[in-house]
Amino acid sequence: MKIQVTVNGIAYEKDVAEHRTLLHFLRDDLGLTGTKEGCGAGECGACTVYFNGKTVNSCMVLAVEANGGTIETIEGEAQDGVLSRLQDAFDRHHAVQCGFCTAGMIMSARELIHHTPHPTVKEIQDGLEGNFCRCTGYEQIIEAILDATGGYREKEDLVYVREQ
Amino acid sequence: MIHQFSYMAPTELDDLLALLDTTKGGFKLLAGGTDLLVNIRNGLLKPDLVIDVKRIAGAGAITYDVEKGLQLGWATTINDIISSTEIAKHYPLLQACACDLASYQVRNRATVVGNIVNASPCSDMAPALLCLDASILVATATTRKTIPIQKFFTGVKQTVLQPREMVVGITIPSHTKDSKGVYRKLKRIQGHDLGIVGVAVAMVEGRLRIAVSSAAPTPVITDDLPLDVSAPDALYAVERIINPISDIRCTKEYRRFMVSEFTKRLIQEVRA
Amino acid sequence: MYENNDPKTLTYVGKSALRKDAGDKLTGKAMYVSDMKLPGMLYAQVKKSPHARARIVHIDTAKAEALPGVRAVLTGDDLSYRIGLYIVDKNILAKGEVRHYGEAVAAVAATSLEIARKAVDLIEVEYEVMQPVLNHMDAMKEDAVLVHPDLGSYEYLESSFTPVPNTNIANWTKLRKGDVEKGFKESAYIVEREYDNPSVQHVPMETHVAIVQWGPRDSVTIWSSAQSPFTVRNLFCHTFSLPLGKVRVIVPAVGGGFGGKAGIHLEPLVACLSRKAGGLPVKFQATREEEFSLLPCRSALTYRIKTGVSLEGKILAQKMEMFWDAGAYADYAVNVTRASGYSASGPYEIPNAWVDAYTVYTNKPYGTAYRGFGHVEFHWGVERHMDLIAKIIGIDPLEFRKKNALRPGSITLTGEKITAHTGNVIACMDAVAKSIKYGKLTAAEKRREAETGKKIGKGIALLQKAPAMPSNTATAAVIKMNSDASVTVNIGLTEIGQGSTTALAQIVAERLGFDLDKVYVKLEKDTESDPYDWQTVASKGLLMSGNACILACEDMLRKGYAVASHILKAGVEDLAHDGERIYVKHDEENSISWQKIAVGYAYPDGESIGGPLIGVGSYIAQGLSNLDKQTGQGKPALDWTFGAHGIICEVDPVTGEYAVRKIASAFDVGKVVNPSLLRGQIVGGMLQGLGTAVCEGYIYDEAGHLLNPSFTDNKIPTSRDLPMEIETIAVESSQIDGPYGARGVAEHPMISVAPALGNAIQSAVDADLLHMPIRAEDVWRAMHNHHPIDNWITKTPTGSCRSDPAARRHTPDAAISP
Repeated sequence: MKIQVTVNGIAYEKDVAEHRTLLHFLRDDLGLTGTKEGCGAGECGACTVYFNGKTVNSCMVLAVEANGGTIETIEGEAQDGVLSRLQDAFDRHHAVQCGFCTAGMIMSARELIHHTPHPTVKEIQDGLEGNFCRCTGYEQIIEAILDATGGYREKEDLVYVREQ
Repeated sequence: MIHQFSYMAPTELDDLLALLDTTKGGFKLLAGGTDLLVNIRNGLLKPDLVIDVKRIAGAGAITYDVEKGLQLGWATTINDIISSTEIAKHYPLLQACACDLASYQVRNRATVVGNIVNASPCSDMAPALLCLDASILVATATTRKTIPIQKFFTGVKQTVLQPREMVVGITIPSHTKDSKGVYRKLKRIQGHDLGIVGVAVAMVEGRLRIAVSSAAPTPVITDDLPLDVSAPDALYAVERIINPISDIRCTKEYRRFMVSEFTKRLIQEVRA
Repeated sequence: MYENNDPKTLTYVGKSALRKDAGDKLTGKAMYVSDMKLPGMLYAQVKKSPHARARIVHIDTAKAEALPGVRAVLTGDDLSYRIGLYIVDKNILAKGEVRHYGEAVAAVAATSLEIARKAVDLIEVEYEVMQPVLNHMDAMKEDAVLVHPDLGSYEYLESSFTPVPNTNIANWTKLRKGDVEKGFKESAYIVEREYDNPSVQHVPMETHVAIVQWGPRDSVTIWSSAQSPFTVRNLFCHTFSLPLGKVRVIVPAVGGGFGGKAGIHLEPLVACLSRKAGGLPVKFQATREEEFSLLPCRSALTYRIKTGVSLEGKILAQKMEMFWDAGAYADYAVNVTRASGYSASGPYEIPNAWVDAYTVYTNKPYGTAYRGFGHVEFHWGVERHMDLIAKIIGIDPLEFRKKNALRPGSITLTGEKITAHTGNVIACMDAVAKSIKYGKLTAAEKRREAETGKKIGKGIALLQKAPAMPSNTATAAVIKMNSDASVTVNIGLTEIGQGSTTALAQIVAERLGFDLDKVYVKLEKDTESDPYDWQTVASKGLLMSGNACILACEDMLRKGYAVASHILKAGVEDLAHDGERIYVKHDEENSISWQKIAVGYAYPDGESIGGPLIGVGSYIAQGLSNLDKQTGQGKPALDWTFGAHGIICEVDPVTGEYAVRKIASAFDVGKVVNPSLLRGQIVGGMLQGLGTAVCEGYIYDEAGHLLNPSFTDNKIPTSRDLPMEIETIAVESSQIDGPYGARGVAEHPMISVAPALGNAIQSAVDADLLHMPIRAEDVWRAMHNHHPIDNWITKTPTGSCRSDPAARRHTPDAAISP
């Protein structure tokens, strides 16, 4: 089936198998490999993208459903090579380790901030519930989002035990 | 998806219903896809045709009317429920259940109708719908009928729906509006999880109702109880409707225990 | 090296420099093997066994081979290679017999993933299902089904391992120190108990994936999401009898490893498919379900500890028996057994010790390296046991630990002496105890108990680990100066998220005295161009690669000074440098910029000296020795990192539901190189440890089917599962031979989280838990003295794989006074 879809502001017209997922369409047909597959079953959130203004697990959306629609992925987050405020906050707060969850995490973070401009720690935790990270333990991600929304209070990374 | 299927997306409800009537071969309706696509990926379902129900006006409707109550479309999403101010005001138990369903991204796609048609014993929305006397609007190309939610589920993942029938809406009557209700779901982690058990307690029109998910082949509800029902009587009423099993998530002893413990606590909470 | 610096003199070490690899990862530009596509690339899929143990009667691949688009089909009979890191016990595809649920029986390479999957469906396998042995304690019995009847004929690493032919024991590690029987006789109390852990999965967000191209004349290129490119190359070449120079292993960005990607996994199978397909590149990416059963997991453990204690609370003797459920193949599990064997007591001095640690084969997905290398599993037993002993003899658990903890002068299990710079476990313990106000409830906590009806409990657990690695583990670094006087560092250590790229850049910048912005570390690893590194495991990267980098810096500086000495007509002893230039100390204007000598220096008249400045540093573990196979004595430890966790938890005394209100985690890291990176490791590891404590675990039925092979029922912590409050604490007793005094800490944050939690829950509601994970239901059962349920499986209609209940000992008060 031929579909027309706008991704990160660019219009595409492509022939796609009707049973193909949006995730595979983005990664394999459009070469936008920033969005990742972590489970293929809508649990881990690594494939989170914006679809018609809402964050979804793209592994559980058919490409044909996006016909006539608008998609935003991680590749569209930075503008002209300049990191977005959120990306910059992630960088400064060491919210990235292996990086595999990062694209989906940024999408969900952006969505969270969109409907809750000054989220509390609890609201951030609830908003990111559908994005697994195995590396960071989430704390620095939460701090990055607090920083990007003006809610971060400076704290020391570590308590040092000065002895001997 | 590895299994190959065709896709159609009618833009009129009548066309959709006509398709149900005329399609030869296996087909499935696609709303949010959060159950259907998982099952196709796992090889549990192998439809030849998937019919998208979302491209029709009114699919995701939420209409509130003081007289008619709340009408939900066949593709109203869980997040639509959560962000509706009318539902917040008049049917808060519906939101309480919705908030506990999966994760935010899933809630952007998952639909209320999809949740009940899937008919998992762990359904998060069923306890609220049961407490609030929901009616399920079922249509074919030529018929319309209304089925009370209490009669909708017939077994594990089974409903009264016939192959060429489609749920086109859910009505929650005005006489259950402004009912106070609370929902508690036991999970293995704080993060998103299927319910190990789920209990909703609601005060509806001067009566107390207790609905339970994940403790019987279907979501179940007690008969109406007096508002001041004693804890032992309430527990007895709940005991009669549940039949928990042991599975890899939990033993039946703990399920039974937690249903009764949640019942006790939620009755106190809803009365407070 | 360079330990005990005054922090004021350091420019980069000790500071939270931003990650070198974050930019690409934040923008979706970082390339993982999952993202790679090569021209002509085929896609592989495998046919997996639905049975835990079965004879393969017949495989019919005709229909699969006939499917258009299929370019290669392989079964076990087509391949005659055997693989094994330490015991060569595995075929690339099951041959004649399948040994675990999910084992690969056949494989296909086709022009699309869909065709490959269809082809796999068309392969018909006839099995003769056989009775599996599932519980490792059953597998130890004399009449047990043998998973590897031919164990006696397998090649294995004799210096380190002892398989027992005609049994299911893949390895038996022994340690005998002193005289345990005498020690027990002298003890006032003898406390004995048994502790359990199930298997869990690493759950890297990127599943295992490999692309292999078997080129002409047997030159093979492998792209793999792997932790150890040189190990992949070595094992690959050994398996296929190829010279090392013909095989090239490339590792780009890796989406998490946690030990699961430490060895060799998919690469040989994918290589065989490529060869069969005429040398086209073939890619195989595991699905998440395959990650749980086709790929290996972490071995389960039953740990019996018997401790003899004096009246004053000193441990006099300890007998430790470990039964590791390694699943169907030995892989790393035999080494986990060995490494745990020599560390089995935790950070305590045991004057008389006896360890028998067994790696046991069963018909289940097999265990590989997992963060902590056995230490997460056995510290559960050790630290629960320490609390038990303290309770029985009536001493405060902290006091008891303090009496027995390792300190300068102590002798470890293997006969190694602890020195003033080994590390300070007591400082870690004191720090976390202070942080959670251990031993009492504050007024606020008491108020909270009264208000909520919940019980608050506090628990502490200590930990230790040294890298489990060969005594000749080595690594190297090559630092090349670019013509703009920036430097590019090549190391074989892989970046799997832990941040080594950044920490090592900081060390290089510090030692060279260059701007950190001018230090580039190559992210992608390539065995053809990067210098050897043993493996990215064991928490040894920072120490060893850090030292290699320092040596490479010094080499580069020496070479630069040698050239400058000519140019400036001064002796090297009179030269100094900064990031811009080398100059004469007593005549600073007499200088030459690095840029001018970076790739060779040309005098004004054109004559040239020097050449490209390249610094090389090699570092090998020093002073280590193999363990005696009978006594377990020797010097296996490059360094010891000690730590402690303190947990405050809140438990519902009726339901058993609980929450972690606070966790304080302290580690003696020697020297903090990058505080933000360290905190990332601590919090990340802590939460992974909490996952194994709270919700993770494989569940099987009686036939050996894995019942939870996906995220639906194999849960890991989400953002909502964080403790309310987290404190991360660093102790810095310098590691003299560590870079700037640093030692590793990559695995340690995971260790001992579970027993800290178990101890806290016991302190709250007196629920005595002996197995992991600790689910609400387990707490409920323990509180109300209900029969405990098997930690691997609840009573399902299809049964359980636990051994005969009567044969298991769960005796919470097994204290025997002689």
